[in-house]
Amino acid sequence: MIESVGRSVRESVEGLGSAGRISLEGVRALRDVRTWGPLLTDQMRKLGVDSIPIGILIAAFMGIVLALLASYSFTNSVPRYLVGTLVQKTVMMELAPVLTGLALAGRVGASIAAEIGTMRVTEQVDALETLAYDPIAYLVVPRMLAGLVMFPVVVGVAMMVGLIAGWWASMGLLDMSSAQFIKGARLFFDMFDVRYGLVKAASFGVAVTAVGCACGLQARGGSEGVGAAATKAVVTSAVLILVLDAFWAVVWLLGRAT
Amino acid sequence: MKKRSNDFLLGAVILGAIALVTAVSLYLRESDIGTKRSQITARFRDVGQVQVGNAVVIRGVKAGKVERIELAEGGWVLVRISLDEDVALPPNPVLLLGASSLFGEWQATVTGRQSVPASKDVYAQLSDAAGDKDGALPGAVLPDIAQLTSVAGGIAGDIASAAKSFQLAFNDSAARELRASIHSVSLMSNDLARTVRVQSRNLDTIAVDVRSGAEALSRASDGFLRSVARLDSATSGGEVQRIVRESALAAVQVREASERLNQISKSFATTEGHLRSVMFRADSVLIKVDKGQGTLGLMVNDPRLYHHTDSLLMDLRLLFADIKKQPKRYFGIKIF
Repeated sequence: MIESVGRSVRESVEGLGSAGRISLEGVRALRDVRTWGPLLTDQMRKLGVDSIPIGILIAAFMGIVLALLASYSFTNSVPRYLVGTLVQKTVMMELAPVLTGLALAGRVGASIAAEIGTMRVTEQVDALETLAYDPIAYLVVPRMLAGLVMFPVVVGVAMMVGLIAGWWASMGLLDMSSAQFIKGARLFFDMFDVRYGLVKAASFGVAVTAVGCACGLQARGGSEGVGAAATKAVVTSAVLILVLDAFWAVVWLLGRAT
Repeated sequence: MKKRSNDFLLGAVILGAIALVTAVSLYLRESDIGTKRSQITARFRDVGQVQVGNAVVIRGVKAGKVERIELAEGGWVLVRISLDEDVALPPNPVLLLGASSLFGEWQATVTGRQSVPASKDVYAQLSDAAGDKDGALPGAVLPDIAQLTSVAGGIAGDIASAAKSFQLAFNDSAARELRASIHSVSLMSNDLARTVRVQSRNLDTIAVDVRSGAEALSRASDGFLRSVARLDSATSGGEVQRIVRESALAAVQVREASERLNQISKSFATTEGHLRSVMFRADSVLIKVDKGQGTLGLMVNDPRLYHHTDSLLMDLRLLFADIKKQPKRYFGIKIF
């Protein structure tokens, strides 16, 4: 048991280390625009545009549940319009980035790890090197750039959908007027809320794609290795999203609060 | 073809997302792009919890928002507000900052100086901020709920300490003693009133008896006078007539005595009241004596004084006995 604990810790650290190493190599490979440039649009569509429906679905239910939960939690002494405040703050700053990030970690992280892992075990990566293609520039850079740009896009859409869903739920399911909800949503709104959520989403995008690429490039031993790489990519990405969430809260929110 | 389709879709999604986020953010921020607004500046010493974006109200109606808050020279804080273009300011306007709810929301209120809440602090702030050479409105910060709660808490604390002091001074035993004293005085007063009533009734009865006795005596005297007059005609010396005259005089004197006694009986009721107040005073004196207050109280409550007095009397008695026995020992009378 002790051995298995030690092995899993070592593998986790190795995974993070290799993700960091691949990220640094990706930064170096940014110069090779002719390699990754033509592939960027495809990756952005696959990672971002194709993920928007799942982002919208999550955000819609999230907004509705949050409005109902806020209304249930507030007693008579708390004004109803604070439902709007709670929905706005929670959706924009926390739930939309984190829940969408976790969903994309499952969808995008596993997809990248499986795709690159398959290329690795079928020696297509070696073939790229043989053809004088830099595998980092060809496989990693377009995915990481796509994650960096498209995660905030998906999360931004999710934020707005979550807010609109909360507004709709407040009017349709709760005894609230539109003016009340909007008053609450405007009450403590700050552009920082949007900025904070989008920056977090960008960092999640880089982390998820880097971990997916690293796990895929480390895949060994056929289809079983590809499956293991995909699983590992999802788990590591999810943990990394939560760690980054706490990191931004401590570094940015705590700094503003003090 | 597929590449171009991807590019179009991607561009549309990105631009759409940016437009959506921007539009909702501007809506929530109540930005007014393209709307003409008038700008007004007010100056304060302190702006409390007011922030950029807080509402500006006139007579309770939202008419603008706080645009900018900045520090200025001379220890001032300048607050710039924007108002809807068609909004007219009240005469002699001032800007008041205050909490609009219990949940940390603040707002700025534009009002006339005559409508300012009656508060020395607010008046002082407005007087201090008036007369800016750049035309900034005078501003004041109304006390927020935390300050009011703090003051109320202080008052409650003072009342609690006063109540505690009163509780210490007027404890259970003091209350019991006071109640017992009042009860004793009440009992004594009742006894005294009963006694005075009985005595008054007795005196009334005596007075009535004396009066009826006097009247009977007068009637007897008249009858006797008539008998004596008839007898007088039968006697020659007039002794009987003299006796009768003296008897009539005695009857008159008895009647006068009876009337005086009646007056005394009436004045006894007044005396009863006086006696009651005297008894009440005597009771308070006795309570003081009982508590050992004053000279008499000390004498009564201190057994040592009694023993000293007793031994002094014994000594004096022995001294007098010795003086009787041996007067020359104490008195030496020499004429020459």
